[in-house]
Amino acid sequence: MNTDQKPIISLENVTFSYNQKPVLQDINWSVEPGQFVGIIGPNGSGKTTLLKLISGILTPQKGNIKLFNEDIKTIPRKKMAKIVSVVPQESYIAYNYKVKEVVFMGRIPYINQWRGETIQDYQISKEAMEKTDSLIHAEKGIHQISGGERQRVYIARALAQSPKILMLDEFASHLDLNYKYEIIKILQEALKREVKCIISVFHDLNLASYCSDYLILLNQGSIEKKGTPQEVINDQTLKKVYRTKPYIIQHPELSIPQIIM
Amino acid sequence: MKSLVQPEKNSLYGYPNWRTKAFLIIIIGFLVILVIGFIALNFGTIAIHPQKIWSILWQHDTDDSLGLIIWELRIPRLIMAMLTGMTLACVGGCFQGILRNPLADPYILGVSAGAALGACSAIALQYATGLYLMNILPIFALLGAFLSIFLVYLLSRKKAHLPMADLLLAGVAVNFFFSAIITLLLAISRREIHSMVFWLMGDLSTASWQKISLIFLPVFIGTLLLISSSLELNAMALGEEEALHLGIQTEKLRIKMFLIGSVMIAIVVSFTGLIGFVGLVIPHIARLLVGPDHRIMLPVSALAGAAFLIICDTIARSIIAPTEIPIGAITALIGAPLFIHLLQRRNETDEY
Repeated sequence: MNTDQKPIISLENVTFSYNQKPVLQDINWSVEPGQFVGIIGPNGSGKTTLLKLISGILTPQKGNIKLFNEDIKTIPRKKMAKIVSVVPQESYIAYNYKVKEVVFMGRIPYINQWRGETIQDYQISKEAMEKTDSLIHAEKGIHQISGGERQRVYIARALAQSPKILMLDEFASHLDLNYKYEIIKILQEALKREVKCIISVFHDLNLASYCSDYLILLNQGSIEKKGTPQEVINDQTLKKVYRTKPYIIQHPELSIPQIIM
Repeated sequence: MKSLVQPEKNSLYGYPNWRTKAFLIIIIGFLVILVIGFIALNFGTIAIHPQKIWSILWQHDTDDSLGLIIWELRIPRLIMAMLTGMTLACVGGCFQGILRNPLADPYILGVSAGAALGACSAIALQYATGLYLMNILPIFALLGAFLSIFLVYLLSRKKAHLPMADLLLAGVAVNFFFSAIITLLLAISRREIHSMVFWLMGDLSTASWQKISLIFLPVFIGTLLLISSSLELNAMALGEEEALHLGIQTEKLRIKMFLIGSVMIAIVVSFTGLIGFVGLVIPHIARLLVGPDHRIMLPVSALAGAAFLIICDTIARSIIAPTEIPIGAITALIGAPLFIHLLQRRNETDEY
């Protein structure tokens, strides 16, 4: 990794509690350009909260979060929306919008209320649909397509936002294998082009290990371990965090750990 | 990578011309309303030949008594119905959008109950004291409506926030409480019960140019303000958090929509009474016609609401003339079957 470059995201001693109950404590972590970071950990370990802190939905009680060296507290919402886009875990869209309309919503932060949208906004939405192979569904209603197709549309919407940081919350855990591969490919392509880094919460450790260059393992609100999948996923840590002894094997082609039951 | 679909140059996935589309729809809508309005002018207790109405409209005919009927009775009533329908449908569409709930209607925050309590108190007071209060009844209704808005705000405010669930619950509570007082008033009333019930079901018979001049500006500006937030309402469909991620200050938007919408409803309802169903059903019909994009759906709702209420009012005052049926009964009588028919047709084709 290029050490000259400043980190895209940096968290210093970030502490967040909800109703006096600590959820995250003293999180120190930074993300380098080009990284695909996976956040893993058992239920209730604070994964989604961490994502919400970085996307500016929640504000930490203590510590600093910086995006591109700028304190997140000083970044206005509209500007934030041009830096970060988020693909939610599962979301229901009220009313049956067309796929193209949903993708176009990604352009909202760029649209001036008085001048309206430009031809470029449509171009970018269309490109986002091309990248995610969802252009063929453009005219269909968002409630008419399958779950896997819908997830691709949500990613298209996030890409239409032209984000520098793309965040996902368990993007593929409920999808079929072929959809998983497709989406991973789309994300890796995006990372090669305009997106500077991807951060995703994973439930599925194998998927996390497959996708990520870097893993953050959370346990009871603190970072238990961080590093490459090889460094993080091992007998010792998993036994400590998940309280079971999993079988870890090496992927036959890639040098990443995979867990079998 | 070349796309599979080759869109035409300017209809690039059919979007940039939404302005043209919206403009055309609005023009056509206006024309339809004019035609419906002209037809509606022909109905009434006194039969007037359409040709005569036409010449009265252009002031070619100066027949005093008929001119008076057209200009001072039928036209004010027509415009009142239009403005009321427009407001109810547009606010209803907005509330459904901001709450992400297709069952929301303009009365959901208790404005209607407040206005009704104000109006019924005025009627009760008039009979009890012998004073003539009919002229200032709208002021009572308006005060009642604002009282309910204020109460809902007080009850749902949590420090600096206004959580959605609390807002709705406060609205329901205020609604029930005020309705209970109205029921009490109705129970102890005798002669005045008819006036009260009539007001509660909506009444456009008191329309006048003076009333129109009072409500026109706030209602018109309010509608424009609501429609100008269409893009933000679209984003709300994704969910509150997603809208935040799109840079929208959802709490501010919610307060803005509820405040503007409630004030508009308070003003209109104070003059017309509670006309139900329009604000719930017309936005759905608009959505079925032009899709859920608020930038087109809201103007279409407003126009359809106006047209719908003109038709309902015409039926209400002419079907068993000279007796008038409360317009609220007609809106539901026509609206409910129409709505069910549209829903069934939709269910045959696809999911909503």
